[in-house]
This record gives sequence, C-alpha cells and structure tokens, in this order.
Amino acid sequence: MVMAGLVTAGAYTLASLGQNAVIPSRILPFLGLVLLLLVSAHVAVRWLASGADSTLLPVAALLNGLGYVMIARLSERLAGLQTTWTFIGIAVFITVLLLVQRINDLSRYMWHFFAAGAFLLLLPMAPGVGFTSGGARIWVNIGPINFQPGEFAKLALALFFAGYLADRGRLISTSTRRFGPFWIPEPRDLLPLVAAWAFSVVVMVGQRDLGSSLLFFTLFVVMVWVATEKTSYLVIGLALFVGASVVAYNLFDHVQTRVSVWLDPWSQYEGKGYQIAQAMFALGNGGITGTGLGRGLPQRIPEAKNDFIFAAIGEEMGLLGATIILLSFVVLIGAGLRIALRTQRPFEKLLATGLTTIVGVQAFIIIGGVIRVVPLTGITLPFVSYGGSSLVANYALLALLIRLSDVSARRLGEVPDTPMLGERLAARFGRRNEAIGLDDDADGDDS
Amino acid sequence: MNQRIRRLAVALLVLYVILFAQLNFIQVGRKASLDADVRNTRQTVRDFDRPRGPILTADGVVIAESVRTEPGGNYTWQRTYPENDLYAHLTGYFTLAYGATQVERVANDVLSGRTTEQQLAGVWSIFDADDNSGSVTLTVDSDVQEAARAALGEREGSVVVLDVQTGAVKALWSWPSFDPNLISAHDSAEAGLWLQFLDLLPSNPLLANAYQERYMPGSTFKILTTAAALENGTVDLATVFTEESQFIPPQTTDPIENYDGSTCGGDLTEVFRRSCNTPFARLALDLGASTMVEAATRFGIGEKVPFDLPSAASSSFGNVEYFEENLPLLAIGGFGQGNTQMVPLHMAAIAAAVANRGTMMQPYVIDATRDHDGGLLDRTAPQVWRQIMSPEVATILSDLMEEVARRGTASCCFRLANGVIGAAKTGTAQLNGPGEPERSHAWIVGFAPVEAPRYAFAVMLKGTNAEISAGTGGTLAGPVASKVMNAALGD
Repeated sequence: MVMAGLVTAGAYTLASLGQNAVIPSRILPFLGLVLLLLVSAHVAVRWLASGADSTLLPVAALLNGLGYVMIARLSERLAGLQTTWTFIGIAVFITVLLLVQRINDLSRYMWHFFAAGAFLLLLPMAPGVGFTSGGARIWVNIGPINFQPGEFAKLALALFFAGYLADRGRLISTSTRRFGPFWIPEPRDLLPLVAAWAFSVVVMVGQRDLGSSLLFFTLFVVMVWVATEKTSYLVIGLALFVGASVVAYNLFDHVQTRVSVWLDPWSQYEGKGYQIAQAMFALGNGGITGTGLGRGLPQRIPEAKNDFIFAAIGEEMGLLGATIILLSFVVLIGAGLRIALRTQRPFEKLLATGLTTIVGVQAFIIIGGVIRVVPLTGITLPFVSYGGSSLVANYALLALLIRLSDVSARRLGEVPDTPMLGERLAARFGRRNEAIGLDDDADGDDS
Repeated sequence: MNQRIRRLAVALLVLYVILFAQLNFIQVGRKASLDADVRNTRQTVRDFDRPRGPILTADGVVIAESVRTEPGGNYTWQRTYPENDLYAHLTGYFTLAYGATQVERVANDVLSGRTTEQQLAGVWSIFDADDNSGSVTLTVDSDVQEAARAALGEREGSVVVLDVQTGAVKALWSWPSFDPNLISAHDSAEAGLWLQFLDLLPSNPLLANAYQERYMPGSTFKILTTAAALENGTVDLATVFTEESQFIPPQTTDPIENYDGSTCGGDLTEVFRRSCNTPFARLALDLGASTMVEAATRFGIGEKVPFDLPSAASSSFGNVEYFEENLPLLAIGGFGQGNTQMVPLHMAAIAAAVANRGTMMQPYVIDATRDHDGGLLDRTAPQVWRQIMSPEVATILSDLMEEVARRGTASCCFRLANGVIGAAKTGTAQLNGPGEPERSHAWIVGFAPVEAPRYAFAVMLKGTNAEISAGTGGTLAGPVASKVMNAALGD
C-alpha cells in the first residue's frame, strides 16, 4: 500500500521534473491527498473487511496512481477532476464495504439488479437525458452531471447473472429437450438469460459501443460456462460471436472501418488510422525504458487520456512501465479468481468470476485494441483511464471483490468471525434477530 | 466450477501473455522502423520542442525567449519575441516547418544547448540535463534601436549605427519589418500563410533593407571617389574645380548637371561640402575606369558584406570593360548614380572606416554566447574587413565630412545635442530617368563626435513616395540621423 503511494508520488514528481525541471509546488498537497485517500481506503478494508485479500487494493491503487500521473501530465485541468473522481471512487468503495456486509444476500435482489442494469443500459437512448459523444450514444446528462451508465450496468448485470446462474445453473445444465442433434435445456430456464444477453448486446450495438458489447458478451458466456460446466456453451457462444461479428461487419460501416484500421492503419494514416498510427509511434518512441515522464509526446495521440492512455504510458514509461500495468492486471485477475476458488457458495463463486472477468477482459480489449492485437473498440482501461463513471464503478467492483474475499476468509476461519460493523450497529438498535448466523438462506429471491 | 475457473485463469493469462508479446514486438522489435517512418514527426518535434535560451540586447532586454505553453497542447514551448517587429531582422524566427533564420539560425546550437561545451557541462548536473540551453547577447542597444524606429517612422528605409572601432552594430532597423511571433505560431499552416503573405508584399518586409538589399547611394559615394583621388594624388585640398552648371562627358550629348541645375565649383572642401556633381564626374573620368574599379574593390564592393547574420547582400559598382565602353556611366558613377548600388550597412561601415583611420571593421551583431548558468562560451573578437584608405586620407576625408555637417548640405538638419560636432555626407540618389516624375532615395552617412569618433551611421529613406522624392538626404535623412546619434551618444 505504502509502495503504491510512493510509486505514484515519485512518478508524479518525475513527470513534473521532466516538464519543468523543478520540483512541483503542488507536490505536497497532492502527496497528502493521494496518500490520505489510499490510507483511508486501506483503513476501511482493515476495519470493515479484515480478512480480505491484501493485494487487491494496493494493485488497484497503483493502477489508479499511474493513470493519475499520466493524466496530470497531459492536462492539469483533468487531473483536478480525476482527483475528485478518485475521492468519490474511494468514498463509494468504503460505502459499498459498509453497506454490503453479507454479500450472499445480494443474490436475493437479482431481479432488482436485472431491472437496474436494463434501465441503466437503456438510459442513454432516452430522449432528453442521453447524448452522443465520440460516436457512441453511451452518455447521460442529468443536471450538472454527465456519466456513462453502462459502466454501472455491467456491475448490475454481473450480479444478476451470478444470482440467476447460482439459482438455476443446474437446471440449465441438464438438457432435457432434443433440438435436432442438440440437447437443449428447458426454454423456460434459458429464456431470461438469453433475453438478458440479447438485450444488452442489442442495446450496445444500437449505441455503437462495440467494446462494451464485446465485454458483456464475454461476461455472459464465461459465467454460463463456469456455472454449467458445459463446454458446449463455450462453443455455442463462440459460434454466436462469430455470427454476430459477421452480421455486424456487413451491417455497420464503423465496424468495417475498425477492422480495416486494425489490419492496416498505415494506408489510412491521414484518416481513421491516425490514432492507431500515433499510438504505434508513441510506443516505438518509448522503447524499453521510455522517454521519461513529461519528456515524450503522448499528447499527439488523440484521446491519450482516455482509451489510449496505455500508449501514453508505453511512450513515457516504456516497455517496463507498460509491463507493470499488464502485471497489475494479471495480479488482479489472479487474486479475483482465487477468491472465486476459495468460496464454497455458487453465487459468490460466480460473482467473483464475473467481476474478475469484467476487469480482466475490459483491460484486454482496450490494451489489445491499442496495440493492435484485436480491432480497437472504445472502452476505458479500468482504474487507469480518465473518467468518473469508470473509476467509481471499478472501485465499487473492487469493494465487492474485497467483501467476497473477506467473507470466505471468515468462513474458513482464517480471521476471527467477529460481528461486523453492521451487526454491531443492529445489535445496538435492538434488531439482533435479523442479524444472526451466516447461513441465512431462509429468504427466497424476490421474483 | 473450480476447474472451469482455473481454466478461465489460464485463458486470461494467455491473453495477457499475447499482449506482452505484442508489446515487445512493437516497442523493441519494430522500434527502429517506427522511428524511421517519415510520418513520425516525434524526433523532429522533440528537437524543436525543447527549452531554448533567450536572445538579449547589450543592455539586457529580452528580444526572444521560449515560454511554457498551457499543458495539454501539442508543444511544451512557444518561441516568443516580446518586442514584436523591432528586432525581427536580427533575431529572425524559429519554426518547425519553415526552419530558423538569422540569430535563431546561426546561434541555434548555443540556444538549444547543443555545443560540445554545453553538452559536457550537462553531464555533470543530472537534474538540469534537460535544460542546458544557452543565451545570445547582441551588440545592439535597445535605446538606440527604439530611437531608430521612432525616427524613421512609417517611411521605408533603414538606419544602421556601428561602433567605429569594432564594427559592432548598435542599432540596425529596417522598415517595413514584420512580427516574428506570427511566423513562430505552432500551427504550421497559419505560419505558412503569414510567410506567403509577407513574401507577396511589394515592400518585402521579410528582407532587411539595412543589409539584405542594396540601393543607389547618390552623393554619399563621393567619399569613395574622393578617397581614390586623394590616394592617387590626382587631387589635394588645394585643387580648384571650375564653376560650372553642367558637364558633358565623352560618348554622349547628355549633360551632367548639379543638383537643381545650380552652378557649382571651388576647392575640394567647397565642392565636397556643397556636394557638386560635375567635379566628381570629372574626377571619376580622370582617375579612369581601372582606378575607380580598383578603389571600389578596395572598399569591399562586389563582395558580400561579412556580417555575422545570413544572407547579407553585396554592393556593386561595375567592371573596367563596361565602364571603358560607357564613360558617361563611369562619370555619373563618380557621384553614386547609374549602376552603383550600396548596401546601407556597407555605407555605415565605410563611414566608420573614415573615423577609424581608414580601417574598415567587419560589422557584427552577436556579442557573446553564454551557457545556461551564464558562463561565457564565446565572445566575438572584432575583425578587420579591409584597409580602405590610408590614415592620412581618412583624416582629410574626416575634415571634409565635418565641413558638410558644419556648413554644408547636412548643416540644416544633422545637429547633435550637447554641442557635439559630427561628420557627415548626404546623398540624394536620383532614380527617375529624364522626363519621369522625381524619385530619389535620401541618404546620410557619417560619424560623431568628430574629434574622438565613437559611432558611425547610415540612414537611408527609400524613394517610394513623393514626399521623400522631393526632399534631399540632408533635409530628410539628417533629422533621423540626429535623433538616433543623440540616443547613441547619450548613454
């Protein structure tokens, strides 16, 4: 934790040195603020989830810090905003830890999450509040606040999928009906799931947000596969993906553009390929050790602060810095899936898998897009990119993972199962009867 | 489920390994070819977009500096010229797409910190290594330069003030000038449009009248003819020229007239003071083409003025064969008409040489270069350009020019403050042919104080309008020279 803070502060100082050759006067307030935020998050984890995996938060903090330094180096104004977003993100992180004490209970609200997810996904298409920016209609404007509800929708849908699959995974996996050469499950059991998937994918394609669409699709397929343990779902998913890709390619010009730019950005240098070409130049310019913070030219890459922040990091921090980012995500994935392995409860298993998949796949989609492993689809790099919705949603996601980790550690007896804060408060207010026992499965879901 | 989760972990790990492999491929494997791509301007831009030291006047006024831009732009540094057009022809401009000119060009290594000394010094201080840019101090005095601009006003022309002993430029002003800030705009398209526009203007503001153009010198050229004749022994102070209003040279029927058709004659002091034309036409013919051309060569005519800024022009007179076949042109060449063309800076250097016992120094404007910490890198040592006349002849010419300032064509209007006496020679170069409307350049060259000369000057007003063409070098250029020399001597 302290390491992450020091790395961030040190990198920030270097960035300013590279640009100004003087130690920035803002360094002390900045250091104080960032350390204060990270320490408060850390204290919150110790206090509210003492059994949690101790790698998750520091790694996220490191990603957040490195992203912050790069944003600050690109634009002072955005750095100020990003500080605010970090503050809100940590606040949401602590709030989620406070509110969600018994995570298994969340499965009861899966239909609420489904409704919330659907609502959030549809919101940008609603006249009056939704608007288009950067070619994708994924923004919502309510009063003074602009945000991307899709960032939160993916959380809601992961919660729904986990709840639904934990409940009916067995049913889906037992194929009872014969359809041609295939055995398929009861349509009644499969329908809501397919609907949820089709719904989100259609909405995403309608909003021209290919990155999120791909992320949802992967999330869905992975969760069904893990829940049912049937490889056929993976095969069907892949087939669906290929089919959808072919359809999308033929239907939408912007999909064709993305693919042709991916295959050859150089012939379209003056047009659509410019961004990718600049990202390639930036990465090449960085080489192994990078140009040094503040000494490259990442501002020449359009959207360097956002989708292309990985290229900016690759330029100024070089292959080494970029590898640190990759390793951080690998560590996050490892920790997340370890949580999924340790817990015994299907809902928690699936939720941990889903949340980890969101972070891991999202980072892969955008990094892969920037460095031409896959066609570019606009999506943020979790914890690193500039953007309030993304940062806040990802901190909420992190809080859920940490809570999952803490719950299973308590159950395994690795930490003493002291009453949680909520339970103590409940006891104080005489509502003890509602807060006894961890295996409280008495309530059904709210469907 | 655990088995599937483990497989998922492996699958995700494989994806990240692919990312890592591709990253290596780009950042290491393809680095060279990416860096070499012609569309990759990063190297050029990095060379361009780095700290660059200031250019200062002798009295410490910053006339070019790099300032930090708002973060988030394409460039970190913006070159600015706080005095706008005042020093444009000295500093030049510094651009990405159109290169650099003048001091920005010749002192580029110092300004950007790339001289060997600066590079070596940079090694020792790691934290300053990024900014080891140096500075350039000019010889120009901001007060004199400003006085030159104010005195010339909106009239096209130039003002040059030189230190007579060293050739250091105290002021060098040409109008029209331009604002180098416009051309140093980061938007190359915008800068290009400005350059194109300035280039299309007939008055050619991008070229410094003072040293990148040449003009008919008129009677100021009589300094050369007189020096050649004195050196040669053809005349001395006792020589008397006949009073006449016109003189018809060989090979023509067109008479040479004095200014305004007046009758003019007397001893050398008299004809020089009144700037008669006919005596000098006769002198040029008496000396002959080869002697005159020899004198012109000795004066540095025909060779590029050895100024320390790029693209200085060269003065021109003519060659022996040409003059022998066109004796009337040799005759009028004797008083700076015909094909005679002089660079104003060169005329100032000649005036300085008269004050400096005949030794003409190379004019220069870069005084010193310093490293980032202010340590001296290099200081320009004054250098002799040519010995254009003997010290004795220089003394005589100095006396003649003093007479011009005291009682001659400059007496009306070249008057210095505090009773300082100067020496001068005026010129009114007639540009129009017979029957055409009057058009003439107004000149005055000279130096002051006459007993212990410090500064020499050349003021030239282009005959672009009727007002200038109606006046003479004395009436028009004289007051300009007075103001500028008062500023120079007043420090």
